[in-house]
Amino acid sequence: MAEESVLTDEFLRQLINVGEADILVGVPTYNNAATVGQVVQTIRAGLLKFFPRERAVIVNADGGSRDQTPDLVRGASINDAQVSSDIHALRTLHCISAEYPGEPATGTALRTILASADLLRASACAVVSPESTTIEPDWIERLLRPVYQGKFDFVTPLYRRHKFDGLLIRNLVYPMTRAFYGKRVKEPYASEFAFSGQLGNHFLGQEIWAHEAGRTGTEISLTISAIAGGFRLAQTFLGTKPHLDARSADLVTAMRQTVGALFWSLEPNFQLWSAHALPERLHGVDQLERRSHRPLRVVFGGDGSAPDRHHRIADELLDRPAVQLHEPAARLEIAREQLTHLLRVPLLRERGEAHQVGEEHRDQAALRDRSRRNSGWREPLREPRPALDAEEITGAIGATTGGARERQRRAAPGAELRAGGVLVPAVRARSHA
Amino acid sequence: MALLQDALWYKDAVIYQVHVRTFFDTNADGIGDFRGLAQKLDYLQELGVNALWLMPFFPSPLRDDGYDIADYTSVHPNYGNLDDFKLFLQAAHERGIRVIVEMVLNHTSDQHPWFQESRSSRDNPRRGWYVWSDTDTRYQGVRIIFVDTELSNWAWDPVSKSYYWHRFFSHQPDLNYDNPAVREEMWKVMKFWLELGVDGFRLDAVPYLVEREATSCENLPETHAVLKELRVNLDKYFPGKMLLAEANQWPADLRPYFADGDEFHMAFHFPLMPRMFMGLKLEDRKPITEILKQTPQIPAPCQWCLFLRNHDELTLEMVSTMERDYMYDQYAGDKHMRINVGIRRRLAPLLDNDRRRIELMNGMLLSLPGTPIIYYGDEIGMGDNIYLGDRNGVRTPMQWDGGWNGGFSTADPESLYSPLMLNPVYGYQAVNVQSQKRFDHSLLSWMKRIVKVRKSTPVFGRGSIEFLYPANHRILAYVRQLEKESILVVNNLSSTAQAVELDLRRFKGNILIEMFGRNIFPRVGDLPYLLTLGPYQFYWFRLRKI
Repeated sequence: MAEESVLTDEFLRQLINVGEADILVGVPTYNNAATVGQVVQTIRAGLLKFFPRERAVIVNADGGSRDQTPDLVRGASINDAQVSSDIHALRTLHCISAEYPGEPATGTALRTILASADLLRASACAVVSPESTTIEPDWIERLLRPVYQGKFDFVTPLYRRHKFDGLLIRNLVYPMTRAFYGKRVKEPYASEFAFSGQLGNHFLGQEIWAHEAGRTGTEISLTISAIAGGFRLAQTFLGTKPHLDARSADLVTAMRQTVGALFWSLEPNFQLWSAHALPERLHGVDQLERRSHRPLRVVFGGDGSAPDRHHRIADELLDRPAVQLHEPAARLEIAREQLTHLLRVPLLRERGEAHQVGEEHRDQAALRDRSRRNSGWREPLREPRPALDAEEITGAIGATTGGARERQRRAAPGAELRAGGVLVPAVRARSHA
Repeated sequence: MALLQDALWYKDAVIYQVHVRTFFDTNADGIGDFRGLAQKLDYLQELGVNALWLMPFFPSPLRDDGYDIADYTSVHPNYGNLDDFKLFLQAAHERGIRVIVEMVLNHTSDQHPWFQESRSSRDNPRRGWYVWSDTDTRYQGVRIIFVDTELSNWAWDPVSKSYYWHRFFSHQPDLNYDNPAVREEMWKVMKFWLELGVDGFRLDAVPYLVEREATSCENLPETHAVLKELRVNLDKYFPGKMLLAEANQWPADLRPYFADGDEFHMAFHFPLMPRMFMGLKLEDRKPITEILKQTPQIPAPCQWCLFLRNHDELTLEMVSTMERDYMYDQYAGDKHMRINVGIRRRLAPLLDNDRRRIELMNGMLLSLPGTPIIYYGDEIGMGDNIYLGDRNGVRTPMQWDGGWNGGFSTADPESLYSPLMLNPVYGYQAVNVQSQKRFDHSLLSWMKRIVKVRKSTPVFGRGSIEFLYPANHRILAYVRQLEKESILVVNNLSSTAQAVELDLRRFKGNILIEMFGRNIFPRVGDLPYLLTLGPYQFYWFRLRKI
């Protein structure tokens, strides 16, 4: 049976009208009428200001909104049928909207955007969250310019965050990504990012879309795909990440959808991440087996600092829209007790918080400075050492978090080896399923 | 073929712009002349044009290519004499070709006897024929037109020790139209040529006739009054003659030049031209439709004059800064291509000598509302020489054949008024009339065909226009309509093949007949009408209900 197309006939008709585009900005939505208008207007302002000569299009992949979301996006179009005296644009700007088939899911939305970019032969594409109300026009420049200039294939953001924002990303997804793939991509699961048409096509051709990872957490897979494919990566500072109203969500679901994608990616990329780590991995298996009777314990650090300076997890607000199947753009709030229970991490002691916040802010300030010096974007450092170099890794599996700093420091070198040990059986199990 | 007697002849005209100097030299002095122009009238008749616009041919020091006139009622000896002109005019009329003469009202040469008298003494009777001042502080804030050569609109006259006003070059003093004697004299000049039989005037630089303090000294009501006075005389004594305004202004500012149909018959639509080039490069109809939307309705007897290129630079005064930068980058990468606020290039080089784009642009020129003007040489795709000074690069000799001097003159090549185009792409050996006449698919042959199709119906010259706005922005589509006749024009501005769905429901039941091949296309129904167009392709369809 032929595979169902992600593009409806009506949407295809709109794409025909757009024709070829230099720049595409995708906005995945589902009932975002409250914020999407402002976001799309800002995207438009950014395109007009920074890319006035380029053929640009805003593509809204909608999960079936029941509010006015698609209309608000389409209303930002600039065409000759409705001339506005306050908009000075060289050319037509299409803002098109597609309701993709099936249940709302960010992965499906991303696939719709990728397919659109492929058909429109867009050379630089960005995805922007409809909830990013702090968006400024220069986000468009910062995300797209490195790609459009042909210097990079994948640009992820750096945000100024609230200290309790994005903990799962900062403390689990980032360090794991870094550990396995050797790239310091601070936001591997970003709500804003940009990619080249080449990377988009590469990812579109991956065997992911029939799997859960092709529906949720797909952005992580894209990040890993970019790393694994040897594409050129950059990070760009976008300013403050909005602190939205958080809603409670099921932790297990959140973890499965977020971290699940990360784990799912390990199998197809086994050769890559195991290349440097095979001996250690085997060693790690041994250790894991020896400790198999003990609960799995995790120490989280943050922001690439040395493990001994990150001995706590501060909160559990997961900053990532659209990880929930039916509310793709929703934020998930994971109760502190839930997360710590799952990860077996003792709650922080209050006295430690001030210290950690201070460090974190210093780190972000430094990023801002670097960003300014480098025109807003920078290339993430490739790890000079093997991917599982313990010195560079901020998370360690197998150590208890309740221990003192000293103990962490001692445990760190072996931690990565054990990390490999944890994951390999899972991969093998999947491959035999 | 005699001239048809129709007061609105200019609406159906296809005008050919030519400088006598550039066309054909019969006395081997290296300069084209009226006898030569008369000899080439058969060529112009074959091309299908039915009006000629002659650039200034009057006695002049030629410091501004003849726009600095030193005698309004004679012919520059380089081009022949008045008898030669009369013979030419008669020959043109015999072929059904009308002649429009350039008339520079705003200023004269500083070599003109009027100015020489005026400057000779403050008491001279002609002192008041020009705008004199003891200071150069009057009319502060008035823009300088030639910003790259002039520092002020005032120039010091050491003879009469006072300043005179000039909006163009300092050697072109402005006439004083507050003086009734000047108005009367200029009407006499026009009358002189009208009595010889010319069919109309292209009036140069009309916005600047009158000066007033605390104004821009452009488009003033007093200027309109002067022009209306000329029009009254024209209609009274020479009905059926035409006035064409050269006013490089925004459409809204141009509209008063039509007044209530009692000022100018026609005016150039300056802002449209750069936007046609812009739309083509952007592959987007927006610049074109936007400017035409801003174009006001004009009285029924009036008409816009459209052009792609002319003897001047492709002016970018009537575009925004962003658009100007874009145009410079896209069409004038080499600094030599730029002059004043514009681009001094011919049509073919501007379009990379791409035949499809040349055809598309001519297709739009001949189908948008207005009377089209073809600049000499563009019908064969002549090139330009950007290394010649001023705008002389687009005023090189007409290329008739691949022989001596391109068939333009038998003089020594070194004695020609301008070097010929010599390069292998645009040179006279590659691009010339003789070679293109031999082939049915040459640009010249194609131009003849499209002019013929244009002239096969009055719809293009006199009909209304209604734009269709298909979602595909690379398609510029419009319906031209006159009474019961309708023509659908569909242009693909893109370099790639396009599909477009047109909403033609109100023409339901009509069949489309392609006007060049007369092939029948499917009948219009309830569904959107689907067309596919190749790169830069365009269609002209006659809508017929049979």
